[in-house]
Amino acid sequence: VSHSEIDALRSQFTADLAQAAGEPALRAVRDRYLARKGGLLSALLKSLGSAPADERPRLGRLANELKQEIETALDERLATAARARPPAGSVDVTLPGRRPAIGHRHPLTLLRDRIEAIFSRMGFLVIEGPELEDDYHNFEALNMPPEHPARDMQDTLYLAQPVRSSAGSPATLLRTHTSGMQIRYMESHTPPVRLIAPGRVYRRDNLDLTHTPMFTQVEGLVVGEDVTLADLKGTLFTFLRELFGQDRQVRFRPSFFPYTEPSAEVDISCGGCGGTGRVAPKLGTGQTTSEGGRVAPKLGTGQTTSEGGCAMCKRTGWIEILGSGMVHPAVFEAVGYDPERYTGFAFGMGIERVALLKWGVEDIRLFYENDLRFLEQFPL
Amino acid sequence: VYSWLRELVDVPDDPETVAREISLRGFEIAAIERGAEPVIDFEITANRPDCLSHLGLAREASAIWGVPLRAPGPARSDKSRHDSTENPELQVDLVDAELCPRYCAQLFDVRIAPSPSWLQARLTAAGVRPISNIVDVTNYVMLEIGQPMHAFDFERLAGRRLVIRRASQGERMRTLDGVDRTLDPEMLAIADADRASAIGGVMGGADSEIGRGTTIIALESAYFHPASIRRTSKRLGLKTEASTRFERGGDINAPAAGIARAAALFAQIGAGQPRGALIDRYPVPGATPSLRLRSSRIARLLGQAVPDDDVPRILERLGFGVTRSGSGADAGWTVQVPSFRVDVTREADLIEEVGRHYGFDRLPITFPSLRAAQSPPDPGIQRDRLLRQVLTASGFSESMTFAFIERDAALPFAEPGAPPVAIANPLSETFAVLRPSLLPGLLDSCAHNRRRGRKDVRLFEVGSRFTSAGEGRAAALAWSGSAADPHWSADGRSVDFFDVRGVVETVLRSFGVEAEVTAIDLPYLVRGRAADVRADGARIAIAGQLAPSLCAARGFPETEPLYVAEIDAERLGAANVGDALRAASLPRFPSIVRDISVLVDEALPAGSVRGTIRASAPATLVSIAEFDRYQGKGVPDGRVSLSLRLTFQASDRTLTDDEVQAATETIVSALRERHGAEQR
Repeated sequence: VSHSEIDALRSQFTADLAQAAGEPALRAVRDRYLARKGGLLSALLKSLGSAPADERPRLGRLANELKQEIETALDERLATAARARPPAGSVDVTLPGRRPAIGHRHPLTLLRDRIEAIFSRMGFLVIEGPELEDDYHNFEALNMPPEHPARDMQDTLYLAQPVRSSAGSPATLLRTHTSGMQIRYMESHTPPVRLIAPGRVYRRDNLDLTHTPMFTQVEGLVVGEDVTLADLKGTLFTFLRELFGQDRQVRFRPSFFPYTEPSAEVDISCGGCGGTGRVAPKLGTGQTTSEGGRVAPKLGTGQTTSEGGCAMCKRTGWIEILGSGMVHPAVFEAVGYDPERYTGFAFGMGIERVALLKWGVEDIRLFYENDLRFLEQFPL
Repeated sequence: VYSWLRELVDVPDDPETVAREISLRGFEIAAIERGAEPVIDFEITANRPDCLSHLGLAREASAIWGVPLRAPGPARSDKSRHDSTENPELQVDLVDAELCPRYCAQLFDVRIAPSPSWLQARLTAAGVRPISNIVDVTNYVMLEIGQPMHAFDFERLAGRRLVIRRASQGERMRTLDGVDRTLDPEMLAIADADRASAIGGVMGGADSEIGRGTTIIALESAYFHPASIRRTSKRLGLKTEASTRFERGGDINAPAAGIARAAALFAQIGAGQPRGALIDRYPVPGATPSLRLRSSRIARLLGQAVPDDDVPRILERLGFGVTRSGSGADAGWTVQVPSFRVDVTREADLIEEVGRHYGFDRLPITFPSLRAAQSPPDPGIQRDRLLRQVLTASGFSESMTFAFIERDAALPFAEPGAPPVAIANPLSETFAVLRPSLLPGLLDSCAHNRRRGRKDVRLFEVGSRFTSAGEGRAAALAWSGSAADPHWSADGRSVDFFDVRGVVETVLRSFGVEAEVTAIDLPYLVRGRAADVRADGARIAIAGQLAPSLCAARGFPETEPLYVAEIDAERLGAANVGDALRAASLPRFPSIVRDISVLVDEALPAGSVRGTIRASAPATLVSIAEFDRYQGKGVPDGRVSLSLRLTFQASDRTLTDDEVQAATETIVSALRERHGAEQR
């Protein structure tokens, strides 16, 4: 035994301790140096007997100092390791939890709820009506007498025999719009009227990327003594900006519907190209909305290029979103309102179309296939 | 065709600008063809048949850019012509002036040949195939001024007559497209002395078609009754350029002008010249309608006054006659409506014209004033919303399926003796009948998910169904696969009857509905796993396992159980159950619990045991809870051990053990007497 041997053992221990990670390794180090039998330090102490007598006290002191150092260092490290050890009854919090099962609302319901909330805040009543209708409420009262060419705009599904509708009346057809409910409401209420009527409607359309024979409509009606086209503009402007984002432009373009006069189609500036008609800067990022970020539908890339322009709006920069107009005096006459005294506006839109635009869904049929991989993308 | 339009009105030298400006006046652009001969394709709304012509759009352009219109050909006459209305060579008998209020015809000597290339080019650009000079000119006039015409081979008209009459029942003729058609008295025939030679306003007949050998034509130009044309066209399934225009409303003053324009073109291209005078049958000339237009009413409808100078400027360019009239609140104009504007019949129509050309974008943005409180919300909407909330909170995702389904898919779910409501004109067999239940749609949705590898499916739908009672509202749910989402801590359990029954109970409870559940046999549910849920004596829901054969028929594996339930939403009542609630005070005295286990016949429904307990117990029994049902070791064959926890409590005192013991013994002996139960 020599001074240098003790120093060598100290540096060997320092290296071993530095290498030891975790309690088992630390215990192994302790055994290696301190075990009564075969421990390196124990062996050193034992071999002191064979050292020269005059060296013995000094070497003994040095060896005991080293033993002290080793014990202190190990105790410290073991205590630290013990503090890091999970307490009894602890769990691995990184494992997945049990989630209470919760389903998703259908995206069309999500959108409908949102639309109803916006209009409710503007003082609109929300009403629902029968899905089966009679010719009078679906067409005639809306200024579409038999053989009116505008009936071609809404190809109708008829029932093989009359059936009692949920309004209690005999019905002969599947309603092509929810306007029939507005007629029913006006028949039984005097102005002022301010309502929206959401619901399913039916047309004899083949299934394709943008058409389904059944779809969801929201129609609105406001009647009073001083309701104007400017009020229609204000109402729809507010609604569309809240739904699609405050950066959208809104445009009113003359059109034709038999039940409104004047009539207007309403366009919003395209979200795909920012209203420029040119191709969007980045694919799939066009759908920035006020709800942006919450849903990330990966179903479509939003738009593809065509002839170097924005395909979403066919390079026009505008997207048609709803139809509207001032209620036709013939409609007021049909429900017994005086068209000289009352004016009003009406509007209507298909929610599927709104959903396609808002969320970049590429195929309208996805809304009716109920594929959970689709439904579960939408917020709860 | 852009160059054609520019011949009639000075529009800017840029088709894109022209298209955009016209589109902002109510004519959507369907397509623009660029190139040497630019063509703009507008979608013309059903109310504007006058714009199914270059002249109509030129009139719009004239109002947009404030430039004069150059009417084509000879000066147009809006007056009905009563002079020179006979030609001894051709006899025209207008028999049915209801279906044909005006009929003009004139004979021409013609030389059939191809049209000159400029004329062919214009027709081709407009999408019409050139045929021969005569046919091409009639098409040209139609595209130019909107008046359809038809040329008969005069020498093939028997008796040299044109008789405008209703077809007789079953009368047959072959039309120009080579199809033999059967007519009826609702249809207007243009006949010669013997038979129908054309279907008025729809299509000419093959027998009197002009061809290479034709030397004399009878050129027809008429006004037909719109509804009659539409009916005929629909009934025959025959839509033509002519019928499209006539069914929307022609211009009653255009027939003579059409022939005059055609005559000018015949002369210009050397195709022929008139042979005798124009024959004009117009027995009841219509008056030019005039309408009042009040300045105040414009402001009232649009929300802003339009400057008084703008109104006549806009309307006159569009062809209206405008005279100032009225004073004070009534100040405005008297407006003569031209005969080609069949859509303008009221003041509101004129206001639309003014608004359209003044520009909707120039109107202010305001908000309608609210003068009265709103009515209470629709209870049906609130009910459906609560249903959706409860069902999504129970782990079900919402689906939507079509209300019309295949007959075969509907039949198993229809009530006995009440076949599903059929659609008279379905798109296909896939959508043949209205659904009597929401379950077939849910089954298809489950099968769709299963085919894509998704085993654990929980879906619901709230929607309309159509039974013998008529249209009704229902909520339905379907559950396959695991009872709970898989988790690393435990093996999953498959869904069973009690999972789906539990959801139904939760829904009913959220509407405050108390129901009784009994077993039932239904053709679409597995026998022994089907429940009838009744409230106030009538069915409010069914629940059970869907028959595997039905599952297999729709592509859902028959080996995997699919549990379903359907709830009659209309019997649930209103969603605002809290409105009538009186909060009960909390119990002040402790409750006492007794567990009993009894052996009963395995066929005895637990519901009967519960009923007997309820009937034999004192009012202090506040709850009964089944906590075990056991068969096996220690229980004889054919018997089952049922364990129940009984909780007793009184609101006015602490119950004594003796009291509860006596009640328990009464219950056990009642169970023994009624059901032969033995206490274990």
